[in-house]
Amino acid sequence: MSTSGELDVAYGILDHQIVDSENRRCGKVDDVELEGKVGEEMRVAALLVGVSAWRGRVPRPLAGLIARYFARQVVRVPWEVVKEVDSAVHLGQTAAELDLGRGDDRWQKRIARIPGSGF
Amino acid sequence: MKRIFGLALGILAAIGGFVDIGDIVFNTAAGATFGYGLLWVVVLGVGGIITYSEMCGRVAAVSKRPVFDAVRERMGLSTGLVALIAAQLVNLMTLAAEVGGIALVLQLLSGLPYRALIMLAVIALTVVIWVLPFSWIERVFGYCGLCLLVFAVGALKLHPDWGEVAKGFVPHVNTTSPLVYGYFAVGLLGAAMTPYEVYFYSSGAIEEGWSPKDLGLNKANAMIGYGLGGFLSFALMITAGALFLPLGINPELLGTVALGAEVPLGQIGLILALVGTLFAVGGAAIDTCFSGAYNLAQFLGWEWGKYRTNAGAPRFTITWLVLLALGFCIVMTGIDPVMLTEYAVIFSAVALPFTYIPILLTANDRTYMGRYVNGRVANTLGLFYMLVILFIAVTAIPLMVITHMGQG
Repeated sequence: MSTSGELDVAYGILDHQIVDSENRRCGKVDDVELEGKVGEEMRVAALLVGVSAWRGRVPRPLAGLIARYFARQVVRVPWEVVKEVDSAVHLGQTAAELDLGRGDDRWQKRIARIPGSGF
Repeated sequence: MKRIFGLALGILAAIGGFVDIGDIVFNTAAGATFGYGLLWVVVLGVGGIITYSEMCGRVAAVSKRPVFDAVRERMGLSTGLVALIAAQLVNLMTLAAEVGGIALVLQLLSGLPYRALIMLAVIALTVVIWVLPFSWIERVFGYCGLCLLVFAVGALKLHPDWGEVAKGFVPHVNTTSPLVYGYFAVGLLGAAMTPYEVYFYSSGAIEEGWSPKDLGLNKANAMIGYGLGGFLSFALMITAGALFLPLGINPELLGTVALGAEVPLGQIGLILALVGTLFAVGGAAIDTCFSGAYNLAQFLGWEWGKYRTNAGAPRFTITWLVLLALGFCIVMTGIDPVMLTEYAVIFSAVALPFTYIPILLTANDRTYMGRYVNGRVANTLGLFYMLVILFIAVTAIPLMVITHMGQG
């Protein structure tokens, strides 16, 4: 991200790792939501996270499969939550607060029951 | 002592990646077919894997980005997805082959039935990966795999014609059967630069918590680790050239390869060769299993890493468990592990550019790397090896078909 606030969306944030305020990996920038009109300056309104957010970005047959098997909700992370962008996108809140990383949360409980799981 | 342990990542990546079941058989078969004539190809391959491991280790240490983060960011979602699927298929084939390889070695050591030993191998791997921290996995498998150095002693004892060995290091092409020679050359290069080595190495660098101050350690790991892997490849090829070629033996079985240490060194040579192979192949099984889990987690943005504990990175943990189970099912069908690994090497050759192009791009990206971007030497070598990789990717499958997998 440059100091002037300009951002190369495709190169700088799209497909980058998202890390929450507790340094936990909690998804990828699967798509972005832009704001603005033709001829006006565009602005990133939110990051969209979840495999369903790929639908508009992959070849059509694959998009159909995703729609069928990954009908889960896309999580919308408002741009205001983004604290810093370097090689990852760092958030100012925890994954739980933003509803991110739910898959890991679900499985964690099951794995934690096995001895030696580290929990 | 700390310094010696610091090299464990490179040694495991190299022992498990460079001298896995496929390489052990491939190098020996190359030596038994062309004597010392393909030694220069191993040198070329070692140069390639050192160049790219150093690069991806540096990217990981500086930007904390492992390979599959770079693949998705730099190749885009759709191409990245193709790369992911190709990588996972090849990883799984290799994993299955390594599990079979462990069972074959255990069978040579114990005489018990093959399928029971496959089960034992998978249970043992699961327990070891579950219980041991990353650094101990590296140390146990990397350093015990060094028993393979017995082949270097064996090669010396066989008194090869050193003049002929030296000639083998000079690049040339065999004119009597150029296509079979080409197949072996492409196979050896593909095996030397097989992508799971860099998946494992770069993620391993993050597991170890490397930062820019570890860049010297990264260089040492890449050079010493893979240098050692190359040295073992030379030893296997020279042993085969000195022992099997004059007798007209084509060593298609793991047991035959071990004879290369038994003939010059007796029973102790045989046991060291088998123990070394057991840990090298076991290490390769862990490398490929982890690589598959790293790739998927990194592509989808999940938490990953052994350093997060098993429950701390739950989907990563489940992925490696599932991959082990799938590998187990594949090898239980009775498919020949050696054949499977040869296919895996050739198919991975086709997938090489998908892995190495994003590494080269990321290592040149100043926004990621700051003052640690590629210098002139790294870029010259990187571009040279990119041409080699593209050549291998295009020729691997046609050569496999034309030569019937090197049978002529």
